[in-house]
Amino acid sequence: MSFQYHEPVSLAEAVDLGARFGADGRFLAGGTDLIIQMRRGKVAPRHVLSLHRVPGLDAIELNGSVRLGALVTHRAIERCASFQGRLRGLVEGAEVVGGHQIRNVGTVGGNIINASPAADVVPVLLALDATITCVGADGERTLTLEEFLLEPGRTARRPGELLTAVRFAVPQGRTATAFLKAGRRRAMEISVVCVAARLTLDATGERCVEARIALGAVAPTTWRAREAERLLEGRPLTPEAMREAGRAAAAGCRPIGDVRASARYRRLLVETLVPRALARCRKRFE
Amino acid sequence: MSKVALELCINGERHEVLTEPHRTLLDVLRVDLGLTGTKENCLEAECGVCTVLLDGRAVNSCIVLAVQCRGRAVLTIEGVAEHGALHPIQQAFIDHGAVQCGYCIPGMILSAKAFLEERPGATEAEVREMLAGNLCRCTGYQKIADAVVAAGRAVAAGR
Repeated sequence: MSFQYHEPVSLAEAVDLGARFGADGRFLAGGTDLIIQMRRGKVAPRHVLSLHRVPGLDAIELNGSVRLGALVTHRAIERCASFQGRLRGLVEGAEVVGGHQIRNVGTVGGNIINASPAADVVPVLLALDATITCVGADGERTLTLEEFLLEPGRTARRPGELLTAVRFAVPQGRTATAFLKAGRRRAMEISVVCVAARLTLDATGERCVEARIALGAVAPTTWRAREAERLLEGRPLTPEAMREAGRAAAAGCRPIGDVRASARYRRLLVETLVPRALARCRKRFE
Repeated sequence: MSKVALELCINGERHEVLTEPHRTLLDVLRVDLGLTGTKENCLEAECGVCTVLLDGRAVNSCIVLAVQCRGRAVLTIEGVAEHGALHPIQQAFIDHGAVQCGYCIPGMILSAKAFLEERPGATEAEVREMLAGNLCRCTGYQKIADAVVAAGRAVAAGR
């Protein structure tokens, strides 16, 4: 590791430095991925731009929509009282990341930029139809999170561009979210499969009007099981409908076999975990 | 590579350090300042033996750059006992026989300290969850968890 270190103290300065160094620079947030990749020699930026003195990037704002600054830590998500109701799934995604030392520093922005298909908070954000904001030399642009994630380790971020925030609408009415993760042990584990679900019921509580199911570690990027969503929408939330959604998600996903699990096992997990996550949402309506 | 002059606040004391920007807090603590109580092992934020408190929060010092610590308070195991008296957590580890080889213990103590300051009176299940980021390869977890739970009670009672 050898680089020049910069510590911008404003968003404008960070964007300016990012634009100046382009692909030669890397923004440093919590460092839980970047420092390790640098030590392994996988990346070797000539300039490291630490963001920890840029004011405001660690703010959680609720104002009709939720805005998570890029430097919001997993710990901050876990402890945000406003996320305990309809956004409980977001807390469930954050609280299973690493140990507390990792959650104390690891950020939502870093989690997105690292673009691991096994990221835990990203499926929840995808299920919330989140958008992200990037700021670069050419100004600010907003993309959907789904279009931002391109492949393992790669996003639509342009060289030098800074991810500043993630946004999503505050769920309304009879809406619940849930997150489930399968790993080989309970803590300090990269997901073998993880599932985030968001369900909205009609005013009578009988039919599902909107469904989102997003899965981690079953495709090159965090993946939305659209076919499974369609099977649920407009129908009563019966156990059979939820099992059907699980089968559709298992049929549609594209998992790989690796050191953590075979592709076949991952599909079996999807078939089981999807209905379980949906049932967890349903229980939250009671 | 040019060096950076840094003023670090470690265990309440100011230290002047001249170092390259790529060096970690762990490295500077052990090599430049001789504070070898903070242990070095995986260097990938997996094992937790390098845990220190940065502005009161537990972090893996192997993935924190020393330059990022300018103007922030670092607490290492050397600063946990005050005025020659062991911290209640340290005493509880001794009382419960929670130390075997000892290598993971500084990290365990610092994780426990940050945790118990927020949640004295934590249950064993909560303590075990908290300790997930600190590995012990002697597998002395039961006694470690017992010690932290007991220390939490002592801290809670002392308030």
